Amino acid sequence: MNPFSPSGRLLLVIVTPLVGAVVAWLLGSRGTGAVRQSAAVTTVITLLGTGWLMLSYLASPEAAAGEPYAVSEAAWLVDGPFNVRLSLGLDGLSLWLFGLSALLSLTAVMVSWQAIEEKPVGFYVLLLVLEAAMLGVFAARDVILFYVFFEFTLVPLFFLIGIWGHDDRRHAAVKFFLYTLAGSVLAFLGLLTIVLWNASHAGQLTFDIAALTAGMAAHPLPMSAQGGWLQMWVFLALFAGFAVKVPIVPFHTWLPLAHVEAPTGASVDLAGVLLKIGIYGFLRFSLPMLPDATAVAAPWIFGLGVVGILYGALVALAQTDLKRLIAYSSVSHMGYCVMGLFALEPVAVEGATLQLINHGLSAAGLFALVGMIYERYHTRSIANLGGIASRAPWLTVMFMVFTFSSIGLPGLNGFVGEFMVLLGSFQRAWSGVAPLWRTGYLTMAVAAVAGVVLGAWYMLWAVERVFFGPSREPPRDHGHTANSHGTSDDTRSAHGHASQHGHASEAAPPTDDLRWYEWVALAPLAVFVFWIGLVPATFLRPSADAVRKASGPSARAFAARMQEIAHPTGAAATADSLTARVPRQP
Amino acid sequence: MTTQTSLSTFLLAGPEITLVIAALVIFLWGAFGGLRQGWLVALAGIAAAACWPGLALVPGELVASGPLSIDAFAAFIRGMVLAAGAGLCLVQAGDHFRSAVTHGPVRRDASTCEEAGTFLLLAGLSLVASANDLVLLLAGLELVSIPTYILLALKRTDARGQEASIKYFFLSLVASALFLYGMACLYGIGGSTSLAEIGARLRSPDARISDTATVLLPVALGMVLAGAAFRLAAVPMHFYAPDVYEGTGPANAALLSTLPKVAGVVVLLRLLSLGTGGTLGMMALNQGVAGPAAAAWLTFFWQTLAVLAALTMTVGNLMALMQTNLRRLLACSSIAHAGYLLVGVAAAAAADATLAGRPFPSPDTAWTGALGGTTATLFYLATYITATIGVFAAITYLGHRWPEWTSGPAPQPPRQEVTSVDDLDGLSSTNPVAAFSLAVFLLSLAGIPPLPGFWGKLSLAMAALEVDWTARATPGSRRVIFLSLAVVLVLNAAIAAAYYLRIVAAMYFRSTKRGVQADGGIGAGVAMLAALGLVALFTIQPRPLLSASSRAGESISAPHALLATPQASTTP
Repeated sequence: MNPFSPSGRLLLVIVTPLVGAVVAWLLGSRGTGAVRQSAAVTTVITLLGTGWLMLSYLASPEAAAGEPYAVSEAAWLVDGPFNVRLSLGLDGLSLWLFGLSALLSLTAVMVSWQAIEEKPVGFYVLLLVLEAAMLGVFAARDVILFYVFFEFTLVPLFFLIGIWGHDDRRHAAVKFFLYTLAGSVLAFLGLLTIVLWNASHAGQLTFDIAALTAGMAAHPLPMSAQGGWLQMWVFLALFAGFAVKVPIVPFHTWLPLAHVEAPTGASVDLAGVLLKIGIYGFLRFSLPMLPDATAVAAPWIFGLGVVGILYGALVALAQTDLKRLIAYSSVSHMGYCVMGLFALEPVAVEGATLQLINHGLSAAGLFALVGMIYERYHTRSIANLGGIASRAPWLTVMFMVFTFSSIGLPGLNGFVGEFMVLLGSFQRAWSGVAPLWRTGYLTMAVAAVAGVVLGAWYMLWAVERVFFGPSREPPRDHGHTANSHGTSDDTRSAHGHASQHGHASEAAPPTDDLRWYEWVALAPLAVFVFWIGLVPATFLRPSADAVRKASGPSARAFAARMQEIAHPTGAAATADSLTARVPRQP
Repeated sequence: MTTQTSLSTFLLAGPEITLVIAALVIFLWGAFGGLRQGWLVALAGIAAAACWPGLALVPGELVASGPLSIDAFAAFIRGMVLAAGAGLCLVQAGDHFRSAVTHGPVRRDASTCEEAGTFLLLAGLSLVASANDLVLLLAGLELVSIPTYILLALKRTDARGQEASIKYFFLSLVASALFLYGMACLYGIGGSTSLAEIGARLRSPDARISDTATVLLPVALGMVLAGAAFRLAAVPMHFYAPDVYEGTGPANAALLSTLPKVAGVVVLLRLLSLGTGGTLGMMALNQGVAGPAAAAWLTFFWQTLAVLAALTMTVGNLMALMQTNLRRLLACSSIAHAGYLLVGVAAAAAADATLAGRPFPSPDTAWTGALGGTTATLFYLATYITATIGVFAAITYLGHRWPEWTSGPAPQPPRQEVTSVDDLDGLSSTNPVAAFSLAVFLLSLAGIPPLPGFWGKLSLAMAALEVDWTARATPGSRRVIFLSLAVVLVLNAAIAAAYYLRIVAAMYFRSTKRGVQADGGIGAGVAMLAALGLVALFTIQPRPLLSASSRAGESISAPHALLATPQASTTP
């Protein structure tokens, strides 16, 4: 294969982090500096390769035609007609998430520059392996390959949290792993059922996602008592996997724990990319392949999204720990993505996919900044921080940028995504649902708007406490008294103290501000925050067709269902016992 | 096909005979010639057996002579047994070092007995795979059991070791007796000791056969299953495993968790093939499964096994969750893995049962391939054995913990073996290679992609899901049962991850002040690295193993699951 052909380059981009991981491992004896430099170089090369790939995708005829780009295939587990393939490619759905993964990996390496002092080799190796897995998830065109990457992302993250995390890291790592695994094994069965159904009707076993999508359109899974409600069961199985990953609200309990305990680099990848895989999974599998079940479940999941927005925001309001606050704000913001996706209105779905990128940028930025604050003051407790703005002005500016992005200030990216999601939800409420359901949908949409206000409230409240007001610099020799998290048995905080004492002797305010590697971590994200906010079309247009195509079957099924509820015909009433089962007012 | 024993029979049994000769050489040389490096001779013996011509077989061919018949299945099992045997010999060699550290360099005479015993065991297992006769099958099984008693008895250094050896001895005798009784019933049905003839009788349309069979089949099946369940450590014959594994050394535990399971699976699949006759049998009769007796046999078979599989997986995993002793934990996990294997066997039986009375190869339905249950079982077995031998090799290699530091002339405290999960604390910093290997093996056993254990679980889930795929899913139907079995399987995989992760977490997330000596000898280390290499190979390129197991599986049951051509009735 020509390494400079698009497919060759895609393969190279995914393999580069793995090669970089090996290089970092080999450089292990040269000390921390060599390892982190090689990791940084690797992520930069990967990012440049990804950028080139994405630019050439945008210029390619495949992009215009809505075809997958840079497709490559190789046999993997093949026996007769049973063929699992290494099949990679990019399309409108995966394009931006693929790019986001490459971008945030650079951030993850950069925020770990000083923070990781213990076992740096393992840390950077795992970070790079995680990058390869994240890129692989979005590039996979084969169901099994997707699942392999989907689950494999857990392994490096498990070690990253468990080894380099904070006090309760072991518990957090295990809970994160098991919770996600329990959901995803069910999703795995759901995917296999789709494969087998397609095989028995198309007469040929295939694991190719595109072929399966076409196959499920031609022979949908049965959504009737006669067929055993198979489609609903498969939908629920996939839901178990993806909802835990997002996380949708009753399944979110692993997230705050994992985030609070994770090292900053892992938090950045977790919030920025891994949560997106859940929504991506819905958009890639549930919506196009299981439209009838989606149409039935959509109002409920829409409601769960709204509950998530409000619940996440209210819990965030009550937090005293800055990182935990941002973790709950993630729960809240992923609620918009869920809501937009299951509004099944084109504008809302597009908004939800844009919101994925927005949240990836802002949450990653905020987590990175919290990590930087923690590195400086060894506390994340809001009560113990204050007046950072006077000592670290640029850090404050960056925090403000990502805060405003997160709460949806017009002109920044968050506004565009949230606006589109809410607009689409109101459109759905006014025109897309049966009259009986209108009140319910309107209530939920209005509640979601209230969530925006709450979001601004807790974020600005935190910013005000932490960055402004009286300079409440935590005592330099803190850790044991002021810091509720870095208590005694944590060996890393002991290291931190040593370096912190060094800074204390200088005691000059500028040392608190952003350092060069922190600029490298944050500046690219900030650029995209403004870019998406000011020219959203650049990012919306390439994926619009793919998103509409993916959500189209479900949107049509939903419209048909609403039609039936609004004007029940005799034939429909007898044929579809389904509507009777669903309460009118969700 | 000749049924007379002749010279060609002995030629067919070449590898087994080589193994037995090697065992005798090791016994005698060890007793009279002062052989110390028994494992070198052992590896040479395995190499000689592996070089025996006729091990490689043209696909679809069947060579039979006397009570032996070598088909692709037998060849596959032989290869697997020899490979596992090589690994186990290395682990045993390491275990000698380990016990010498614990107990001092005593009982050198016994050391070669272990290799020789293992060799007899391998020969027996290989015979089980190629037996075409009830008598030879039983002889092979006893040749698996009896050396195991010796191996366990050689390790009875303390009360637990004695308990282990006695417990295994008596329970194994009971299992053998049950199995023998089942065989007698089979003889009563078939009127012959030849498996081929019993199978032919079962598949004949004769009504008298089915009358006898209705009475005797459940009895025969129940007894035979009980015998096989003991070997597999499957519910309800599972309870001995934790005690025995804990009481004996890690090398014996490695052996017990692999070879008897192979024997159990082989027996089950051979008995399953009585109903189908394999692909060759189906081709010969032009019928999927002929005869009411054969259909009844397969139906009993899958119904019982489906229940046992669900119970075994769940019980094994729940028991494992509560263990803190490493070997007990692995014993429980091996029970759970027996459950996974049974899912595959049950799926194979059920898939074949659906062929009852249908023409074969079918003219009106398209035979497109997914994975059959037998293929999945064999594939899973191979991945399981690789990882399990690796785990025990690593534990053997780790040997003992460093003694507590004492000052002054106080006597040295006794060395403490690595026994509990806590003993592995901080292994990633003291023995990074061993910790990494152990983590890989455990994650493979947990079925985390892309490790081989995941491919195994994928094929098992696929095999379970595709049973009776085109039928309607009504409550209690075969399809729903296997669908639920697949759900139980994947949920169990998630439960299992909990205790495997506990070990990984101990190794990577905790720290220790004592560390581990890694005094288990170079043999165990080599076995560990070899298993790691195999795991890596199956991860990157699982294809050759899958094709080999699918060729082997086809000689037992229908080549592929039945997937119907497009039909309108199932779409809403």
